[in-house]
Amino acid sequence: MIEVLNLEKHYTVAEKEPGLAGSLKSFFKRQTKLVKAVNNVNFAIESGEMVGFLGANGAGKTTTLKILSGLLHPTGGSARVAGYVPFERQTNFLKTITLIMGQKQQLMWDLPALDSFLVNQAIYEISDSDYKTTMQEFTDLLGLEDVLKKQVRKLSLGERMKCELAAALLHKPKVLFLDEPTIGLDVNMQVKIREFIAEYNQRFNATVILTSHYMVDVTALCKRIIIVDKGRIVFDGDLSALLETTSPAKIIKLQLLETAKKNLLERYGTILKLEGLNAELSVPRNEVSSRAAQLLAQLPIADITIEDPPIEEIIGQLFTQAEANR
Amino acid sequence: MNQIWRKFKALFAAWLSHMTIYRAEILIWMLSGTIPLIMMAVWIGKAEAEGGKLGGFSSSDFASYFLAAWLSGQLVVAWVAWEMDFAIRQGTFSNKLLRPLNPFWEYFMQHITERFVRGPFLVVVAATGVLLIPGTKLVSSIPHLLVFLLAISLAFAVRFLIAYCVGLCCFWLENATALDELYFILSIMLSGSFAPLEFYPAWLRPILEYLPFPYIVYYPAQILIGKLDGLQTGRVLLVQLLWLGITVGLFQIMWRVGRKRYGAVGA
Repeated sequence: MIEVLNLEKHYTVAEKEPGLAGSLKSFFKRQTKLVKAVNNVNFAIESGEMVGFLGANGAGKTTTLKILSGLLHPTGGSARVAGYVPFERQTNFLKTITLIMGQKQQLMWDLPALDSFLVNQAIYEISDSDYKTTMQEFTDLLGLEDVLKKQVRKLSLGERMKCELAAALLHKPKVLFLDEPTIGLDVNMQVKIREFIAEYNQRFNATVILTSHYMVDVTALCKRIIIVDKGRIVFDGDLSALLETTSPAKIIKLQLLETAKKNLLERYGTILKLEGLNAELSVPRNEVSSRAAQLLAQLPIADITIEDPPIEEIIGQLFTQAEANR
Repeated sequence: MNQIWRKFKALFAAWLSHMTIYRAEILIWMLSGTIPLIMMAVWIGKAEAEGGKLGGFSSSDFASYFLAAWLSGQLVVAWVAWEMDFAIRQGTFSNKLLRPLNPFWEYFMQHITERFVRGPFLVVVAATGVLLIPGTKLVSSIPHLLVFLLAISLAFAVRFLIAYCVGLCCFWLENATALDELYFILSIMLSGSFAPLEFYPAWLRPILEYLPFPYIVYYPAQILIGKLDGLQTGRVLLVQLLWLGITVGLFQIMWRVGRKRYGAVGA
């Protein structure tokens, strides 16, 4: 569904020293710098896949999505989405995709969301019967009943994001580019949006590329992740494989029935935390079952959970490794 | 064809709702574009000081011309360069680019619907002018009015396309609004808003014929008040069509080349 080959996007950006002296210097001699926002990126995504696109700010995630949705002209390489070259903006291509940017809105600010939906219905050439069916589905799934007739500027951020999602998906695109779709939303709303995306993917076998700084978005929705750093891909594979290769340890969280001494716990793993009756141990991944069994047999334990280290930590390690290898 | 009609209808309905919300702002904008009305008072005063006529124009001739020039100017207003400047520099243009419709058409419909909200105010001001100044004849006849509507539509299309091309300059420049200001100054000076072109220096008149400005205000105004014969009217419409062709060609080249430079920043 998506094929990206040696994709590159370079920008020339102006640079200026701060202050009056910098302004004067820049007035007579403008300094520019070449930024390689996307640098020789390759990947392919199958139909129906949900892929998490991760990286720090400025890593090149959003630039890649903008190239794939036809907004940006690549400097080099090629990209094909559903068989189309994105930048050509063919009508059928634009009807196949959508790009949702959590920080940008497409709804008309002064009008009720319903007016923007009607405009999209006409622009995407959606028949009246399809429009009615889809609107009913989205209203049920997202709980839009009470918000459709309110002026967009009077909606809360969460309500507006739900309407943005509905407007962007009204034409039932087969490829979804989601750039921080849950940014700024409260936890309940994040869950709702995630559930909706998962449901949409299931119902329409849609291909989804998702960027988010909330790792829970990615872990809940995507099996596969692509990690970019400074315009290059540093990891492309299963989330579980990433955890296994990058983090050879797991975390055992314990709730004890009575306090345990530090030197006693150290026998089972590296102590990450010991506060009263709560303890956290880092244990080699291949020994986690036997260590857990030993703990249960030898210590008074009320509760035990085994977890992977936080994904933010793992990705941080990956960036450090990539930097060291460069 | 049916789908195209549906798109324009939906855009018309949505933007009409939007413009209706901002009707007071539109009225204020309308009142701020009163240079021809001020010039009308100046020229009428001068004609009366000269004993009733100046350069063959009586007070009522000046009143008819300047009212028609004001009406023409009001009907060709285009602010699309400002909208595009903001949208391209802030990245909000991306949302329009994602849709299977050239962003040109949405901006175009935005301006068309604004004319429907502005229209009733224009009629009231023009009618008041005709009633207050004796001997003023704004509309020469119904056929003249119909030809005027055609000429002013072409004039608007040319003005809109020029403004759109100025807006597209944002693909190359940091800011395009200064260029639109330059257009505005040239247009005020050269379109016939300050004076009927009969009062311009003889050396300037032939040069003006090669520029779009008189075909956007002066000539449509002359058509409305019945100062042009059939042949002259035909020539004006033909030149307007020529300018339309030139501006459409310029728009297409700038769009094709400039879009590759779009940075989709901030989005």
